[in-house]
Amino acid sequence: MRTIKNNYKSLFVLLVSLAITSCSNNEEGDAWAGLEDGKSTVIRDLAGDTNGSMGEEAEGKTKRGFDTFLFRFSDKKQIWIRNAADSAQYLKTKDWDIAFTGPYNSEIYVNKGSYQFNPGYGGTASSAVVRIDRPYAEVNTAASDEDFAASEINKIGWAFNDSADGWFFYSLDTHLMMAIKNRTYLIHLPDGKYAKLELINAYQGNPPTVTNLNWPAPYFTLRYYVQNDGSKNLNTK
Amino acid sequence: MKFTSKKHIYFLYLLLIFPILTHAQIEMRGSLSGKILDKNGSPVIGANLVLQPDMHQVNTDKKGVFLFRNIIAGEYSITVSYIGFKTYQNTVLIEAAKNNTINITLEEEENALQQVIVYGKETKVDNLLDIQRSAMPVTVITKETIAQMGSRRLDEILKEQTGIAVVNDIGGGARAVGVQMQGFGSDYVMILIDGQPMVGRNSGNFDLSRISVSNIERIEIIKGASSCLFGSEALGGAINIVTRHGAFQPQALASFRYGSLNIVDATLEGETPFHHQRGSANISANYYRTDGFNTDPNFLSGGTTAPPYDDYTLQGRVRYRLTENGTLGASGRYALRQSFMKQIFGSNENQNSAGDSQDITDINLSVTYDHNFNNGLRSMSRYYLTRYVSDMSILWEESSSQASAEKFAQTLHRFEQQFSYSATANLKFTGGLGGNVEQMDNRDFNVPGGLWSSFGYLQGDWKISDKFEAVGGIRYDHHSSYGGKFNPSLGLQYHIIPKLTLKLAVGSGFKTPDYRQRYQIFMNPVANYLVIGTEVLRATLEEMKNNGQISEVRDYLVNQLDKNLKAEKSLSFNGGFTYSPTQNIKVDINGFYHNISNQINSIRVATGTNVRDIYTYQNLPKSFNTGLEMSASVTPFSGFDISAGYQYLVAKDRAVMDSISNGTGAYASIRDNTTGLFRKSKLSDYFGIENRSRHMANLRLAYNYTPWDITANVRVNYRGKYGFVDNNNNRFLDQYDIFVDGHFLVNAGIEKKLIKQRLSIQLTADNIMDYTDRLMPGQPGRVVLLGLKYRFYKE
Repeated sequence: MRTIKNNYKSLFVLLVSLAITSCSNNEEGDAWAGLEDGKSTVIRDLAGDTNGSMGEEAEGKTKRGFDTFLFRFSDKKQIWIRNAADSAQYLKTKDWDIAFTGPYNSEIYVNKGSYQFNPGYGGTASSAVVRIDRPYAEVNTAASDEDFAASEINKIGWAFNDSADGWFFYSLDTHLMMAIKNRTYLIHLPDGKYAKLELINAYQGNPPTVTNLNWPAPYFTLRYYVQNDGSKNLNTK
Repeated sequence: MKFTSKKHIYFLYLLLIFPILTHAQIEMRGSLSGKILDKNGSPVIGANLVLQPDMHQVNTDKKGVFLFRNIIAGEYSITVSYIGFKTYQNTVLIEAAKNNTINITLEEEENALQQVIVYGKETKVDNLLDIQRSAMPVTVITKETIAQMGSRRLDEILKEQTGIAVVNDIGGGARAVGVQMQGFGSDYVMILIDGQPMVGRNSGNFDLSRISVSNIERIEIIKGASSCLFGSEALGGAINIVTRHGAFQPQALASFRYGSLNIVDATLEGETPFHHQRGSANISANYYRTDGFNTDPNFLSGGTTAPPYDDYTLQGRVRYRLTENGTLGASGRYALRQSFMKQIFGSNENQNSAGDSQDITDINLSVTYDHNFNNGLRSMSRYYLTRYVSDMSILWEESSSQASAEKFAQTLHRFEQQFSYSATANLKFTGGLGGNVEQMDNRDFNVPGGLWSSFGYLQGDWKISDKFEAVGGIRYDHHSSYGGKFNPSLGLQYHIIPKLTLKLAVGSGFKTPDYRQRYQIFMNPVANYLVIGTEVLRATLEEMKNNGQISEVRDYLVNQLDKNLKAEKSLSFNGGFTYSPTQNIKVDINGFYHNISNQINSIRVATGTNVRDIYTYQNLPKSFNTGLEMSASVTPFSGFDISAGYQYLVAKDRAVMDSISNGTGAYASIRDNTTGLFRKSKLSDYFGIENRSRHMANLRLAYNYTPWDITANVRVNYRGKYGFVDNNNNRFLDQYDIFVDGHFLVNAGIEKKLIKQRLSIQLTADNIMDYTDRLMPGQPGRVVLLGLKYRFYKE
């Protein structure tokens, strides 16, 4: 009987040790935790054109293609471009900072009137954007004026290779977008102020990993900071 | 189809009324008596004896004598157990109108060998191929093991086996779940019922939860290329489900289980012989339901990630001895699944609710005629029909827009003629010839006339000497579009010393491209891509071009791939040994290497004006799975069993390895997502194929205390970390990508039998530690179930 008791004892020890080791789960907690730094603006689940679709067979989707929308940092205003009147009223103005265009509103432009394919083409704004592969919180100053002037970044969308300036990777296996972590954009805004921007997610609820092919999109999570004193100090710590 | 389903119902009706029509004949009965002794010749008092399959039970008296009275004549398996002695198992023949006697000497415990598996005695009722004598390693799960685990569906049983995992295929949608075995994905594992292939896959995945384990006699798992036995699809292995057959005495069983997630598992079974034991019939009905489970409550405010469903299964079998040597048999299975899964994302005005519905109908019918010739030749003629109908759709409720919809029906007819012949006691042959026709209806494609194939095979089982055994065979498959394929296999066993056996096996496998890869034109409007089957590639692209829908075509790829998709091939090597230093310890170590060539993968061939990417399929050079599998079992004392298993696995794609070495495209660089820096990638950065764990292990402790009729077990399963998705865009898994954490799942069960083992009460708990992970959408949390089972039979 002694062997039986010993066996039970070791079984008990084994089970207790398992109970301790087996209760850690992946990716728990608040998806937005850590985004708020007290200075930056965090935009959660900004709905893009969820009625749009790419193909012809999407029954019930209202139309093909996606409506563009504009976004203004200062008052978090979302401006929809639904028709010619909207285009005429907003596109060529300095009233917006970034535009969400293309499939799933995933292709983003800063307001730059001089570039032919920019939504603001022909307008007066002359924004510029510089990409920097560093964590948002550690980006403390805007780029130099020379760097802004030299920047050739226009569309910020799918980053199909390591030199692309896009904000997301796209998996050809799962057909899902994955925002690139620790990539920050420095923007010289139409009103001359400097800002930094991080695009965090395109899926509703800001899930760290999308686990469902049909996860609702586009719902943008992003954060930005605009230095209102006109200086290049972008420290948000 | 109308005709067959009517016939099916009629057949089931017949099965139901058999017990009423038949009365066991007294002159067909005999008795069995004898003595149970220990090695000194003293009687063993109170030993427990069980006769299967009818579960007759007696205990020995003060003189060690037992008596089974009034038993229907036939061949039975007898089990004798008593504490302090090893369990004895053998087959006995009870002849009619006779008192049959048997005296048994029990061996004492220190010599106990719990491995009392006497497979040779099993009667093969509808398949002459002895799967357990396959060249490749075979694992058998018996109905006793299944009963102890208290599992309800086949996936639950299999995921606790060494080297087997049940995985979600995210790219295939929320319902795509399949089995993975020694690194082979579900596409490469054939699922059979009584030796006949089951159909119906979702993006290549066969969802094993479709199958209830209530009427299963045993499960046979072959790991490694088995096309030599089963032809196409058994490229990486096969899982054969053997359903119950044949009782000698009328009996019935009712079982009901209920617990967490409102799981209900209810079974009614009846078995009976008829017409003076010339025939036997059984029928089993099962109902199963679950609420499903949400592993992702942080992001899914409502609904589930593991689907809720209602499953109905009706299964039956009837056999009748027409003549002295000829037996006619038929079996049928009808399964229905209805499932509606809601998934609610967001809240208030931003709420999006997906209504995902799935209806499945699954029919398997088979008719066999078994004939023994006087010269030792046995023949089995088999006809088999299976039909699978699946209707799936996902609707966004707030906008009433459809996210996806798919409906298809698949039908397979197969005729096969098998022969077996024992040339000498040490040399046996099994051979067969047959043909298949397969039809698929889908709203996206249709193949006129179906796909035809034919096959022939010969297997040999040769005991060359006391030390040396060989099994091997060859199979030829001819496919209407892919021509002929030979698949050989060879397995050798060498008993170096009685305690140590060396085993070696080699076999090949193949899989012809499926309908989807050849004919389907699939548009995903949400992700905006189009996939064109290779048979219709050029024609479809031409048409789109004429309509101005194409902006760029990679012509050299179209020229190379149009109507040119080859069958996938595999070559498996297995080698290892079995060591039993003492009779209560057994250790198995087996190394495996599977080489897969011509693996089918999607490739982008064109860009559209509206559709962003247009894909087709290509054959990739090579990938491989290699590793080591170990199992050990120890019986420290009678009634207590410890067994453990471990698998080490490396599964890599050679095309990826080449691309990394050559620095091709995206494969050339690697991004550390924490620093944002890119660097050149190295071959050592490659972790392997998605969903494959390096380490998997399991431990099972089972205790059976016969005086109280109590059994209890605890099972611990470990799955090492595995890759989920590439997160830094270089198309292969490296350390910066998303991995699912390694984890333990603990299951346990306890069962008490009462009223001469007629009634059993079982409490089971799966996933006791309530471990969940949002990256494992199909793994529910803790499930506790209470079950009652009652067997009806005449004393």
